[in-house]
Amino acid sequence: MGNSVCKGKTVFMDTTRIKSLQNSSTGVIKAGEHKIKSHLSTESQGLSCFTQDHSDQRDGREIVQGFLGQNKVMIFSVTSCQLSAQVKELFRSMKVSYCVLELDQREDRQEIQQALWELTEQRELPSVFVNRQHIGDWEKTSQAHREGRLQALLDMQEVNLSPDLYDYDLLVIGGGSGGLAAAKEAATYGKKVVVLDYVTPTPKGTTWGLGGTCVNVGCIPKKLMHQAAILGQAIHDSQRYGWELQEKVSHNWRNMRQAVQDHIGSLRFGYSKALRDSKVTYMNAYGEFVGPHQIKATNSKGKETFYTAATFIIATGERPRYLGIPGDKEYCITSDDLFSLPQSPGRTLVVGASYVALECAGFLAGLGLDISVMVRSILLRGFDQHMANKIGEHMEQHGVTFIRQFVPTKIERLEEGSPGKLKVTAKSTDGKETFEGEYNTVLLAVGRDACTRTIGLDTVGVKINVKTGKIPVNEEEQTNVPHIYAIGDVLEGKLELTPVAIQAGRLLARRLYAEHSTKCDYTNVPTTVFTPLEYGACGLSEEDSIQKYGEDNIEVYHSNFWPLEWTVPARDNNTCYAKIICYKQDSERVVGFHVLGPNAGEITQGFAAAMKCGMTKEQLDNTIGIHPVCAEVFTTLSVTKRSGGDIAKGGC
Amino acid sequence: MARQYEEVTVRGYDEFMKAVSQRKGKDVFAYFSGSKNEQGFSWCPDCVKAEPIVRGELGYLPPGSVFIYCQVGERSYWKDPNNEFKKTLKLSGVPTLLRYGTPQKLVEEECFKKDLVRMMFTED
Repeated sequence: MGNSVCKGKTVFMDTTRIKSLQNSSTGVIKAGEHKIKSHLSTESQGLSCFTQDHSDQRDGREIVQGFLGQNKVMIFSVTSCQLSAQVKELFRSMKVSYCVLELDQREDRQEIQQALWELTEQRELPSVFVNRQHIGDWEKTSQAHREGRLQALLDMQEVNLSPDLYDYDLLVIGGGSGGLAAAKEAATYGKKVVVLDYVTPTPKGTTWGLGGTCVNVGCIPKKLMHQAAILGQAIHDSQRYGWELQEKVSHNWRNMRQAVQDHIGSLRFGYSKALRDSKVTYMNAYGEFVGPHQIKATNSKGKETFYTAATFIIATGERPRYLGIPGDKEYCITSDDLFSLPQSPGRTLVVGASYVALECAGFLAGLGLDISVMVRSILLRGFDQHMANKIGEHMEQHGVTFIRQFVPTKIERLEEGSPGKLKVTAKSTDGKETFEGEYNTVLLAVGRDACTRTIGLDTVGVKINVKTGKIPVNEEEQTNVPHIYAIGDVLEGKLELTPVAIQAGRLLARRLYAEHSTKCDYTNVPTTVFTPLEYGACGLSEEDSIQKYGEDNIEVYHSNFWPLEWTVPARDNNTCYAKIICYKQDSERVVGFHVLGPNAGEITQGFAAAMKCGMTKEQLDNTIGIHPVCAEVFTTLSVTKRSGGDIAKGGC
Repeated sequence: MARQYEEVTVRGYDEFMKAVSQRKGKDVFAYFSGSKNEQGFSWCPDCVKAEPIVRGELGYLPPGSVFIYCQVGERSYWKDPNNEFKKTLKLSGVPTLLRYGTPQKLVEEECFKKDLVRMMFTED
């Protein structure tokens, strides 16, 4: 990405340096000026660009950005190339002036072509840009022309304001965990900030307000419903502890849903108050880039408002993916719908093996519902597979039916109603078997897609991973366009967690406006999966540690444990599990922490801090345990996986 | 001046609940204040400070909504942690401005901020 951000200040393209190039007649010559340079051919409307002075070596990327910033139509070309000639002819016929940089005339051709490739993933020349947006090669350009897109782009007004005249210092698209954190932080430094947030309703019509996924349809309602399921188990266990239940205990979905939604509502209102208090402007509108510094915001009534800002942060998050099979959007629900479902989902098929799928299946089963999970291949891809399988086994032992290596092929409605009855047809992954089942509800949890396709990123030239929609950024969360940043779930290759987005957002605001230089540390971030048997982890999975250090260089210490609270009600005695992975070449530093058991999140948090301090096995052993708690098992680990020793526990 | 909202004045919990039940289906905003004496002064200094600010924003109330001005009672009644307002309506302090049936609530110093009051009256 290059160092276009220094010391926390946003640096705009230094156009004065480009101008000085022009003045010294070693640079761009625009159409309309009839300066003719000696050893180059000239054409009537487009003139070639060249450098004579090589003492001024500049980064290829900066050179490209410089030309793009200065010229509405920019062609990177080769003099001998027929296709380049055709492109130039096209613009001439449209009576549009353009600037051409003939790369075969330049000594820094390699650097420029490399920069072009990084920016556009196109190696071929000519490479055509209009209003900083990459059109493509000759074929793409002529196609854009045929489809009228080229003219539309040329007609687009470019807002050429100086930084003093922007409406806002910072515009944040997306009012979720990351966006709000960044906005509030920026406002504390006296910046003028606006947040745009808009929730496109689900196919079922579900929608919500400010706060993003976590508050409305993620972590918060999930944990509350997980707690509801845990309490159900507790009621059951309580009898062994002497409690006498007079009536039969049953669960009322409506009451739980109402309580959860009430809490979410108060959190949302708290966010609105906090934003208003910190003088951040909030608009409930859908934001799209229409120019390098301009956004069009459309509200629910279709009214359009335009905003300009010096700097932008994209924090639009993700939404659940559908399968792309008949009946999926019409009849299935996703996590977006589950937490506000007005009636109990009843007998439910959960499709997917992500943590969303397993957490939802887990608490639904805990509430007493008949739950099946359809899994294409492995559970919890990306997580330690040993732990993932233990989680699955536990769920299976407790009544969840797993349908392995099947993929749904169609969903049909058998009966209307709330929830009604659906028929699911599925095929095995080897194609040999067919499965049919009837359920009240089908919950799809097969992944989430980044919301980056329809916010005008191509208009401003922000590069995204075309396949996944995710945005690649540098260590400072900066996209390929210097004044546009991105944080949160939209980022490529980063953990999709609320605290990560919040941290990244806050630090980014500090770097931009408070002269800080701290970057977000994405390593050793602790997480917890809230399946019925909770899983807390920090650092590397066993697979990743083997890959990184080699099997001979790591030592895995592990043990089962039996929580004291589970003894009296005779709950599973050899299911809870603790594992640490140590790097032998560095004093057995703990590089992976894994715990399966109740309150896994609470346990893991402290150990994550210890890992940040470089905790070793010896330090862990020297720490005296607290008794009787689950976490103390980590202070007495002695059996290694390598030894094959028995780790079965009889309780304390 | 034609008002777009209905203003209702009540004293005490029972009167408040009666006023609310008579206006089912309407958007009801309620301002709870320590009761005023014969001279028109409330024992609650924050309520005195907040009232003109809240009243100043009443023009932003949505049309057809209801604004209930409720005097909760004497200081001694209010201080009892088991009074009906605290127990049933879950009020934690006065003044409180809330939108009945929703989690939207401004408590004590929050009522001094006219931006927040306006936000509550105008947001969906």
